[in-house]
Amino acid sequence: MSSELVRLGRKRALPSCPNPLFLEWLTELRDQAAEKGLKTQYVYQKALSSLKKYPLPLNNGKEAKILQNFGDGICKILDDRLEKYYRVNGPDAPIHSLPSGVQASGHCSTNLDPSKASSNTQELPGTSGGDHKTQKGEVRREKGARKKRGYVPQKRSGGHAVLLTLYRHSQVPDSKGFMFKNELQTESQPLCDKSFTVPDLGSKYTAWASVGTLIQRDLVLKTHNPARYSLTELGLVVAEQLESGEREEKNDQKVEEEKREGGEAVECPDTVDLTLDDDDHDDEGVSGRLAKRPSPVGPTEESPTEESQAVEHGEAAARGILLPGCYEIILCVDFIETTGGNTAGKPDLVTELQKNGVTFDIRKLNVGDFLWVAREQVAPDPGQLRPPTVRELVLDYIIERKRMDDLCGSIIDGRFREQKFRLKRCGLHKPIYLVEEHGSAAAHLSLPESTLQQAIANTQVVDGFFVKRVQDVKESAAYLTIMTRYLQKLYTNRTLHCRSRELEGDGPRGAQVSCSLMSFTEFNHGAVKSKCQTVREVFARQLMQISGLSGDKAAAILEHYNTVNSLVRAYGQCASEAQKEKLLSSIRYGKLKRNLGPALSRTVYQLYCTKGPLS
Amino acid sequence: MSVKRVQTWELSDSESESDSEGNPKRAYTHVSVKDGNTLSVPQITEARLGHGMRSDAIIVLEEDAKDALKPSKRTETNTPSPGKKRRSRDEVDTDRARAEEKKAERERAKKEREKKKEEKKQEQQQRKEAAERLKSYRPENYVKCLTVRIHPVLLQDGNSDVLSETLSELEWKSCIEPHSLTHSITWKRSVPQEEAEDGEVEEEQVLMVISLYEFMDVVQSVKQVLKGDSSRHEKSGLLAALSDHLNTHTESVVTMLVMGSGQHRKRGSWYHSHGDLRSQLGMQDVEIEEVLVYLELYKSVCVHFLYNWKEVTDQVCTYTKALSKRPFKALSECTELGFCVDGSWAGGTRVERDGKGLAEVWGRQIQQLNRVSPAVATAVTSAYPSPQLLLQAYEKLDSEKERRALLADLTVKGMVKERRVGPEFSARIYRVLTTENTQLVLD
Repeated sequence: MSSELVRLGRKRALPSCPNPLFLEWLTELRDQAAEKGLKTQYVYQKALSSLKKYPLPLNNGKEAKILQNFGDGICKILDDRLEKYYRVNGPDAPIHSLPSGVQASGHCSTNLDPSKASSNTQELPGTSGGDHKTQKGEVRREKGARKKRGYVPQKRSGGHAVLLTLYRHSQVPDSKGFMFKNELQTESQPLCDKSFTVPDLGSKYTAWASVGTLIQRDLVLKTHNPARYSLTELGLVVAEQLESGEREEKNDQKVEEEKREGGEAVECPDTVDLTLDDDDHDDEGVSGRLAKRPSPVGPTEESPTEESQAVEHGEAAARGILLPGCYEIILCVDFIETTGGNTAGKPDLVTELQKNGVTFDIRKLNVGDFLWVAREQVAPDPGQLRPPTVRELVLDYIIERKRMDDLCGSIIDGRFREQKFRLKRCGLHKPIYLVEEHGSAAAHLSLPESTLQQAIANTQVVDGFFVKRVQDVKESAAYLTIMTRYLQKLYTNRTLHCRSRELEGDGPRGAQVSCSLMSFTEFNHGAVKSKCQTVREVFARQLMQISGLSGDKAAAILEHYNTVNSLVRAYGQCASEAQKEKLLSSIRYGKLKRNLGPALSRTVYQLYCTKGPLS
Repeated sequence: MSVKRVQTWELSDSESESDSEGNPKRAYTHVSVKDGNTLSVPQITEARLGHGMRSDAIIVLEEDAKDALKPSKRTETNTPSPGKKRRSRDEVDTDRARAEEKKAERERAKKEREKKKEEKKQEQQQRKEAAERLKSYRPENYVKCLTVRIHPVLLQDGNSDVLSETLSELEWKSCIEPHSLTHSITWKRSVPQEEAEDGEVEEEQVLMVISLYEFMDVVQSVKQVLKGDSSRHEKSGLLAALSDHLNTHTESVVTMLVMGSGQHRKRGSWYHSHGDLRSQLGMQDVEIEEVLVYLELYKSVCVHFLYNWKEVTDQVCTYTKALSKRPFKALSECTELGFCVDGSWAGGTRVERDGKGLAEVWGRQIQQLNRVSPAVATAVTSAYPSPQLLLQAYEKLDSEKERRALLADLTVKGMVKERRVGPEFSARIYRVLTTENTQLVLD
């Protein structure tokens, strides 16, 4: 156990279970479920416990069905994963070892491929009862060790990759001290087997899900909006260990491989053979890492890191640029537009669009109802089940469609302003309000015509939106169709650049045809409605629960006391109750810098300083 | 009011006298010291004297009344013990010196007070001006500095009278002016001299009022452009005029109001005018739409179909109103917070002077975190009915882990199935209330 410090990850834990892949997958599933707060986490946990107790190697998911707590569902998932694993690593891949690096010590194998199973079992000391016993002993030791060590993510898992990437980023001299989501995903990807952006088949989660665990474990700090990720002090310590473990790993691996070739029983040595340093594997590990450092930002450059990424490397150089003719303009329709239609025999929009022969794509848009993307055209790879990942950039136009009765309803319940607010901030410069004036419901609208007309005029004059009036769904569809064709024409001969809003801010406004565009993923992610709240936002909203404490007043208070904590501390430092009561009264708010006044100051004081129950 | 104050003073004087029965002079001195304090730091003395809620204005009154107060005090104190009237010369001198000192001190304090008064006056003046300015930005006042400018071409249509009539009825300023774009209605706004040289600024909104017939001309021009033959039509006609205008006025936002030939609404509702009029063009929908989208994408021009001058007039009015609202909205807009501050959640709960209503505020505060139902909030507020009580509970716990999990086991009532608040939310509320990192993300 002396190598414990350098040999991190669950690597040491692996030998205790003959089915490390299944163990890993189930752990992953459980963590994902736990993160989403799903009950299924317990199902996975039970299965995990059973699996850990089972001393024999399993060849596939179906075999696992003999275990307690393994149902058809879990077995199916395991088989699917296994199938994918074979596809990626070749049908002969040993399932006791992870694709790169983590060569589990020989005796701990295996979810063996039947062809290899026999030979490998012979290598094993045997799966007799005696062996069982020793394994149990090891389990116990492992548990003790783990407690001491705390949480350490498994090698080549999402968490591992993210910690390492953040660590390496933090070591760059001019590091900004945090990373944005896109940046972090892009740079972590080479270190992780699972995709950060595309979920595995049959799964809803990507490797990114593990970031939640890291935050919960106080290893990673997530701040600001858009989110910024950085390491906590604890995270820094763990990541440092991972990094040094990573280096050891490379060497260990070599030694192990050599030993295996020599047919020796494999137990990793504590000493490191330095003569192996200058082979190609080490190049990946060290120089790759170094090459990466100078370019912590910018999706345009992807650093060379691991072999598995080599193929993508060529493409990566061109990342961020779509050349003319290599992309098509596609209309995207929010899925909500596809529901609810057709009910009263009304023609629905999707049918109309189909009739018009428009290429469109239905997806969940976090803001707006329609927009256009420039989608890279990639020939599908016949050997792959999943289509290759395709880059998509969002054009500057975004449409919010409103029927008159919708408009009326949204004005009444306040959604109207909120939607406009979100449209203004979504990063696309040309918001369009598409007003369908037909109203079968026109007669029973609860607001007078003049109010609605005023709201529409305000949208144009005050908010600066383009207002498009049509009569009905059919005309909406015609409008969208023709817009699509025009945009296709407008973008026939243009080179498009991917601009990250997080890294570079908003692009220039006003250009008639913008060619510097956000990626669809970044756009849609940035527009999530119930976005992650920051402490600041919650505190502001909380203050606004007092009648008369408007947004600008809350903002002014936050300028002086930006957390509940700092406000309460300020109260604590006041000499008298009278002083506390007046603490906020002379804070100036708004563009006219008016005083907050004694009444509100007193109310806030009463709220935060009343020792007993509030009335 | 002043009489009442004097009484109060007498009361407090007699109290201090009873404390030092033997030496009335000292009692008086004692009072003067208090007075001195009152002058320099009124708040603190107020609190000490237990006079409760006295405003600064009353203290000023008090000072005036004091001179009248002193003699009466002296006589009062002298009557009960005449034997103590005899004093040594030294005593008299020191008393006198002391009195001088007090007087000087009072003078100083008075000056200081006057300075403060002056400052306060100035501040009030500034505030008044700011309020005045704010008032002038209110839409109903701001509209007075707008002038609707109507291109003379539009007056050739006799039906257009309704426009100028309506404007004068509303007492909005208007003028006839042959400006840059033919057939157009624009707005200019008079601004204070310091903001613009000529004192007038042109608003960017432009309404171009044309008839169906004239619109056909635009349609033809656009079609030529689309066919790639722009030579003929771009040089003359409305589209050319529009293009010229947009080239020279890059800020302009043009809305084309296409007007029918004055007929009445067919179905009694404006909702149908659009399709109705479009059908009168005798073109296929797709053809019209092509032209409209061309105008949108290449000229940022929006086209709106209307029946008659009455409807055009209504549009002019809505645009004028929208323009008059804009500055006030910009002024009261809150951009610092990064989220929309309007919405049903932002209404706020009325809180009385005595703090009544705060319990509800506290409950709603908890609901401001994402995914918190009223039931969960109630579970928290009934266990900890004020923020202080919860913060104190946190303080009593030793470990971070315990604090984080403090609320996790609270039972949420009123659900079909009873459940707990849960560790996730417990940790979030703990973070909100105790962290010092304002940018920390909670989810």
